[in-house]
Amino acid sequence: MRTETKLLGGFGVLGAVALGGIIFWPVRTEPAEITLQGDVQRGAYLARVSGCISCHSDFENGGASLSGGKGLSTEFGTFYPPNLTTDATHGIGGWSVEQFAKAVRQGISPEGDPYYPAFSYPFYADMTDQDIADLWVAFQTVPPVNESAPENDVSFPFNQRWGLKLWRAAYLYDPDTESDPTKSDAWNRGKALVNGPAHCAACHTPRNFAGGRILDARFEGNDALPGDSKAPAITPSTLIEGDWTVSNLVYAMQTGITPSGDAFGGSMTEVVQGNTRFMSPDDLEAMATYLLDSSS
Amino acid sequence: MIKKTIIIAAVTSSVAVTALAHGGATGIVKERMDAMAVMGNSVKAVAPMMRREVDYDAEAVKSAAQVFARHSGEAMTKLFPEGSGGGASEVTPEVWSEWSKFEELAEQLGAYSNGLALAADNGLGTSMGSAGSMMGSSSTDSMMGGTTTPMIDFTSMTADIAFNMVAQTCASCHATFREKE
Ligand code: HEC
Ligand code: HEC
Ligand code: HEC
Repeated sequence: MRTETKLLGGFGVLGAVALGGIIFWPVRTEPAEITLQGDVQRGAYLARVSGCISCHSDFENGGASLSGGKGLSTEFGTFYPPNLTTDATHGIGGWSVEQFAKAVRQGISPEGDPYYPAFSYPFYADMTDQDIADLWVAFQTVPPVNESAPENDVSFPFNQRWGLKLWRAAYLYDPDTESDPTKSDAWNRGKALVNGPAHCAACHTPRNFAGGRILDARFEGNDALPGDSKAPAITPSTLIEGDWTVSNLVYAMQTGITPSGDAFGGSMTEVVQGNTRFMSPDDLEAMATYLLDSSS
Repeated sequence: MIKKTIIIAAVTSSVAVTALAHGGATGIVKERMDAMAVMGNSVKAVAPMMRREVDYDAEAVKSAAQVFARHSGEAMTKLFPEGSGGGASEVTPEVWSEWSKFEELAEQLGAYSNGLALAADNGLGTSMGSAGSMMGSSSTDSMMGGTTTPMIDFTSMTADIAFNMVAQTCASCHATFREKE
């Protein structure tokens, strides 16, 4: 309730004139044509790492791959990851690769509307044209499913998509994937994966009243995740204190087993079973190397 | 040999270690937390072998498998009578609203633990550490499929794979039926 009032207050301050401007304010630009040849295997791997398959599928309830995911219930409402199969009406079968690129890297629909950040697109902004081409050809192999996912169940004011333009202006950060020449190749690869496609900060960094990530508190944990779940801190100091090492962190991302002999619970189990267990040992080791040394 | 003694010590000292974060639980809640913690200690004893941090020991793996089997199935579900959530307990209400799924996972733990005991003598596979690229493991070739496992033959499976199946059963149950404080 408190959050809603604050946001509404924020909207009020802007006044009607400014609002009119924002509603018609165009967001981002058309991406250039993508003509690169994609690689299906590489695309499928990236779709695992990035969580596209786990978020957009509901295997538990017998749903076909990528035909729409389980609802994500947040304090702003429930969001349903849409059908991404090749069905032209209910999926993305009628899209061009450029429209796909714009949705994934910029979070903008073919109609020019912004997507809700329940879709982890802010982490995919640095994907290369090759990454997009690979994902695109992999998505072409998914059989069509002719049923739409349910509509999002979001109430006013959050159901006003134009309001997301304000959100984007305030909280859409570029992912921190830049490499550091003083660090090892593994560290740099790990950084690009963790802060990019693997989107660990989506759950492990706290968010403010408007769902924006608090960058100063990166990896310090979030106790208000969808479904009332809590993600602990994964800063280097907390990991080291918890007896985490590169070896047992890699193993945890493959199996869900922690150094204390416990097994992950909550949404971390879905991350392991849907995403990280499919990753190559080298990539997992790179991520663990970065995480244990991510503050430098 | 030294390693083996350490592992055995770790297993036998489990009772002492279970005192950890129970948060003042009593009665049946304490009982099931203790049972879980005993399994946790067995996992802790064998996981370093699976990670190749210590030498593989088939007997230790078999005894861990027995610990899991002993605490699985009805031995586990009978520790969750209806209405025993709340307080120090970390269970979610889904335990009782989705009881048959809960029961199934407790049974699956038993089946996979017996499988692990069979696979223990096969030792570890050689897959770990093999060259990784973006092409990764073969399981990523397709955009299809959930996590269903067809016919399982544990007698020809390596111990690390069988142990993963046990571990995934622990994690699957915790994902739905436990919410850490
Ligand atoms: C955390 C869950 C999550 C992950 C991970 C995720 N998505 Fe989504 N995605 C969503 C949600 C929720 C929406 C709907 C957003 C909205 O309604 O504004 C969405 C929307 C989309 C859309 C727009 C579909 C349409 O019909 O307009 C595309 C395309 C898409 N996602 C592709 C991807 C790809 C590709 C990946 C992996 C690189 C991915 N998603 C990963 C949750 C997710
Ligand atoms: C969908 C949300 C989500 C995402 C994405 C996510 N995590 Fe988690 N993570 C959690 C939750 C929830 C827990 C608590 C698990 C539990 O209750 O046992 C957790 C726990 C952990 C822990 C255990 C910390 C401890 O000290 O106990 C580690 C390590 C971890 N996550 C690493 C990662 C890494 C690495 C990534 C990126 C590949 C990641 N997580 C992505 C939700 C998430
Ligand atoms: C059928 C479901 C189920 C299975 C299978 C399962 N657990 Fe649990 N586990 C739970 C629940 C539920 C709790 C929370 C109990 C409570 O707080 O009342 C729990 C709690 C725990 C705890 C914390 C105990 C404490 O001290 O608070 C540990 C450790 C644990 N489990 C380890 C394991 C391990 C290791 C395995 C696999 C070998 C496993 N569990 C398999 C349901 C399960």
